[in-house]
Amino acid sequence: MKKTAENIYGIPVGQAFDGGRDAFLQAALQAVSDRFALDGASFYEYDEKTGLLRLRLRQASGVAFEHEENFRPSPGSAAARALENMQATTASSPAGRFLYFPFRFDSSDPSGGKNSVTTAGLIRLERSLRRRRFSTGEAAKADAFLRSFLRDYYKAEFFSLTRKYDKNVSAITELTEVFATALRVRDSFRHILAGIQTYFGFDRVRLYLIDEKNRKLKGELSADIRGQIKSISYEEIPLEAGAHRFADIVLGRSSGAFMERYKDCVLYMPLSVQGVTIGLLIVDNLLSQQRIEPQELAMLKSFGGQIALAVDNARLFDKVEELSLYDELTKLPLRRFFNQRFQEEFYRAERFKQPLALLWADVDHFKEVNDTYGHQIGDVVLKEVGRVILANLRKIDFPCRYGGDEIVILLPQATGAEAQRLAQRLNSEISELRIAVPFSKTRELKITLSIGISTFPADGATIEAMLEKADDALYWVKSHGRGKIALYSGLAPQRAAETGKTAAGGGAGPSVN
Amino acid sequence: MKIWLLSDYDHKKHLAFKSMLARFSAAFPETEADFSVKSRRSMWESLFSHLRDPKRNPLADVIEIPQNWTELFSRLGLLADLAPKVEPLARKRYPDFVLKELCRHDEDRAFSAPWWLEAPALFFRPRELEKICREPWDELSSWEGFRAALDRVSSGNKKRNFRALAAPYSSGAVCPADVLPRVWGRRGGLFSDDFNRATFTREETAGGIEDWLELAVSGKIELFSPDRFENGPRPADQCAFIISSRKPAGQASRPARPGHRQAKAGARQAKSGPGELKVLPYPGCSAGGGLVLAYNLAVSAASGDLTGASAFVSWAMEPENLRPFAESFGVFPCLKSVFEECLQAEREAETYRKIFSAPELMPNIMAYPTAELLLERALWNLSLKIARRDYDREDLSRELIMAQGEADYLLSLY
Repeated sequence: MKKTAENIYGIPVGQAFDGGRDAFLQAALQAVSDRFALDGASFYEYDEKTGLLRLRLRQASGVAFEHEENFRPSPGSAAARALENMQATTASSPAGRFLYFPFRFDSSDPSGGKNSVTTAGLIRLERSLRRRRFSTGEAAKADAFLRSFLRDYYKAEFFSLTRKYDKNVSAITELTEVFATALRVRDSFRHILAGIQTYFGFDRVRLYLIDEKNRKLKGELSADIRGQIKSISYEEIPLEAGAHRFADIVLGRSSGAFMERYKDCVLYMPLSVQGVTIGLLIVDNLLSQQRIEPQELAMLKSFGGQIALAVDNARLFDKVEELSLYDELTKLPLRRFFNQRFQEEFYRAERFKQPLALLWADVDHFKEVNDTYGHQIGDVVLKEVGRVILANLRKIDFPCRYGGDEIVILLPQATGAEAQRLAQRLNSEISELRIAVPFSKTRELKITLSIGISTFPADGATIEAMLEKADDALYWVKSHGRGKIALYSGLAPQRAAETGKTAAGGGAGPSVN
Repeated sequence: MKIWLLSDYDHKKHLAFKSMLARFSAAFPETEADFSVKSRRSMWESLFSHLRDPKRNPLADVIEIPQNWTELFSRLGLLADLAPKVEPLARKRYPDFVLKELCRHDEDRAFSAPWWLEAPALFFRPRELEKICREPWDELSSWEGFRAALDRVSSGNKKRNFRALAAPYSSGAVCPADVLPRVWGRRGGLFSDDFNRATFTREETAGGIEDWLELAVSGKIELFSPDRFENGPRPADQCAFIISSRKPAGQASRPARPGHRQAKAGARQAKSGPGELKVLPYPGCSAGGGLVLAYNLAVSAASGDLTGASAFVSWAMEPENLRPFAESFGVFPCLKSVFEECLQAEREAETYRKIFSAPELMPNIMAYPTAELLLERALWNLSLKIARRDYDREDLSRELIMAQGEADYLLSLY
């Protein structure tokens, strides 16, 4: 039969480690205290570099408790001898009778690292002076018991390292998948940060991207320890040496001392694609001050290339999407995007019986502007009109450059009157615009908009009908002096009057707004 | 119900809690309650491990925390609001200096219930000072006076096993609990009053730290003491001075109830005359304004039994449970009425009133616990240097500059 403490003394030391290492240690100290009628038992870790013993766990008076105290055993003392000779040693002092049991084992790094991991320490069995000394026989029994327990402890340590390694291997596989799919999902950056947090669980992960045009490092997203992700777009750092630590890191000029200090709980990872730095990923445990395991650091670093590629791809993807959905000049969505959104909003208005307004605007005399001042000035006009429109809309409103100088704006949950108010505001602000025209006599150009409005359900019960009615209203404005606003449903009496007047010999058009 | 208790250098705390819990279980047999004792570091790690992976690292239902961890862990969503469930919190039955930090940002909610508190003080043995200190109450009121007396005591006493100064709570290295009372005494702190910047290197703060380090450099306190490892804490009767926030054994209050066994024993020891310890405010804090450390009970927001856990906290706050628990290891209860009673019952009530005049708790702000860790790391590095005898004043400056930089950065983030 194999000689184990359990077999020899009937004490179940080889218990499962399900409760974790600490629970295992507690159970062991309890068992050894009971078996050898101790007043106390303490478990110390030994740091060979500093020569310090660190108390981790103590058992006394039926209570096990973690505690932290650091001691340096005096040279020649029983504890020092035990550690030096790796042999159990007994001692007596005014504080009691002690049996010091040293241990030391080296385990290989399960991840295949070259360095072995050393665990060393001391277990102290304690009796008060009133109680008997530790006899030689008792010391031998305790030695056998503790060796058996430490073998289990060693197994637990190794098991925990192996489990960590397994976890890392599965993280590698799954993170690779996350980064690969990041391109195909919406909110790609969020996806990447969430992936990193899921597998590493840092206090924070932050992503900054370089804005080459403006020479800035711009904050994108931050994920916290609870996995909550928020925008940090308010963070903008000039990309100049000395402007900020992050800028220095990206530019390769960070201070060595500072980085050395932070190396255990912060990783600054410049993201580079084909030798070009595109951003900076920062992971940290600054709040908890917990050390980021070297294995985790190494793994994250090894992911650096993939993360950079995923981030770059996602950025390119966004750029392509932006180009295909938005007009570069006015920054307004394009017709294809608008049509899709119009359908959604129309369906919602129909289903929930909510109003919906459509505003169709046209820059007055835009062709003349182009012909007279050139397309560059025409572009400036459109750009300015786009800016004014975007600045005046609610979040739910949806504008679109429908074609040429025609702009339509979808106003969910807006009545005709509300649409008219917005149209007036736009008209008023746009009429105040002064476009500089350097080579003309007037030096500046004023512009106006003509706007037609249709509403659901009053003017049209289909998308096509709404577009048609808004266009009709716009046409009416265009043909009645421009620079005004017409609501389709408000035109009927004026049209009727006009028809009558025409029949009676003509007259002025209706005054709309 | 699982309870995590903070470990203490005085094992009596664990035993007192064990017996308190036994009484709770007897009173509420349907509630299964179990506790384990975690070191401060382990408690901190467990809370963060839970944040990282709640399923694998469940929290206990009731957790003891230093009062100034409340803001941090409540903001991280770990702690439940106890104000509606714990009557003393709802009615704010705590001293103002405790409430000030507890309700720093929110008057209506409270994410932990103040439980017990301790104030660092100077204990001295008049017999040892007879020849060197005519008016201890005056001379020991300042740090300089204390320091001079310490020198005189050290040089004048050749007794074997005698130590001029003991700090029974020492963890081996110099730690924040050692230096912060002195930092407070010099009106320093880790952050500016508006909490906009770290002030580790400010003269008052660095000076306070240096004052304590000097005790270690000059050998007045021994770091990583082999003697303590081999013989345990030095008995009080072998020391002239003790800096401690606990009333040493034998310094118990007057009996709360006639015939109270513990108080009788204390009184007996105290009457023993020449060995008696006297208490004074922490040197440099004789006018009040000293640092007080408070410990609170919190309930995990993820607890499956919020009602039961809150009920336990309420039960623990009842005077008949709170007072014996606090007295058993020489600290004060936080509940205002019981705190006042205990002060009243003190044999040296006048001194304790001074100690508790205008006391201050450590700021309960999000970045503070981490700032303490930064200081702890700096002090650890310095302690190793002192123990190796290659410490230089510049080492202190360097460590504090680095720690301050990190704390400032932390403030900018949180």
